[in-house]
Amino acid sequence: MELMINGEKQEVEANTLLDVVSHFNLESHLVVTEVDGQIIDRDQWDQTTVKPEMKIELVHFVGGG
Amino acid sequence: MKSSKLVIAGKELSSRFFLGTGRYPNPFIQNEAIRISEAEVLTFAIRRVNLDAPSEDAILQHLDQDSFTYLPNTSGASNAEEAIRIARLAKASGISNWIKVEISADEKTLLPDPIETLKATETLANEGFVVLPYTSDDPVLCRKLEEAGAAAVMPGGAPIGTGLGVLNPYNIGLIAEEANVPVIVDAGLGSAKDIVEVMELGVDGVLMNTPVAKAKDPVKMAHAMKLAIEAGRASYEAGRIPMKKYATASSGYTSLISR
Repeated sequence: MELMINGEKQEVEANTLLDVVSHFNLESHLVVTEVDGQIIDRDQWDQTTVKPEMKIELVHFVGGG
Repeated sequence: MKSSKLVIAGKELSSRFFLGTGRYPNPFIQNEAIRISEAEVLTFAIRRVNLDAPSEDAILQHLDQDSFTYLPNTSGASNAEEAIRIARLAKASGISNWIKVEISADEKTLLPDPIETLKATETLANEGFVVLPYTSDDPVLCRKLEEAGAAAVMPGGAPIGTGLGVLNPYNIGLIAEEANVPVIVDAGLGSAKDIVEVMELGVDGVLMNTPVAKAKDPVKMAHAMKLAIEAGRASYEAGRIPMKKYATASSGYTSLISR
């Protein structure tokens, strides 16, 4: 299905948010997710159903001052 | 000798050096710089994962997470609402509830927006964050931030990354004198002499990134900055002599041999 991930349209086969994270091989990373403006905790990823056109943010820590 | 520890939100810190993690030549040099700096508080930014290369730049993979206190920043935010969103994302990582509120009002100078910074500080402090706002060097604003619940205030010495040093030592000194929370000078410092100068003004610590990361030898500079912080602090605690216009001999004038 088509999802808006980090501001870009992405075609991803996914039922849950965990599938989306897995699609990008990010399960083992310290990634924080937001779906339609709501932060979803890691332990809720497999229970969060994704639907077409949902806006998903996948963010992490980078170097900064 | 009078010597007090730096305590922020009940946490006693072993070092007055807060070190940023951006712009180092590579992760190896960064880790060496962190090690030699003996900094305990490290800053980070929050960004979208690059979906074309998801593994790159995941900075925390290179660090032993238990030895540090993490201070994520809200860089990229241009108002309180954006900063609050970034802060909540940072906290959701589970690694820290500390947040450096950084709200830039101007692209050229990256100077902080005082009104939005105050709003974000108040909201986040009420939500239980340990808030350390990056702020302009205004003593009145720093007092307001303290009243809004800031755990420490972080006035800039000069605009971020400029290396201009402490542009207004009078204000920084006044902030250090009046604040009831720790004062960490954040941004604009260039070399060890700036650090000694600012520490002698009585501030509690220094946050640096560019002057270490972009030095010709970042590891050596991290060491120099650590020593400068210690020297400046010790000098402040020791209490310097007053300045005088004319000389005073180190030995007295009694029993001079030539008379």
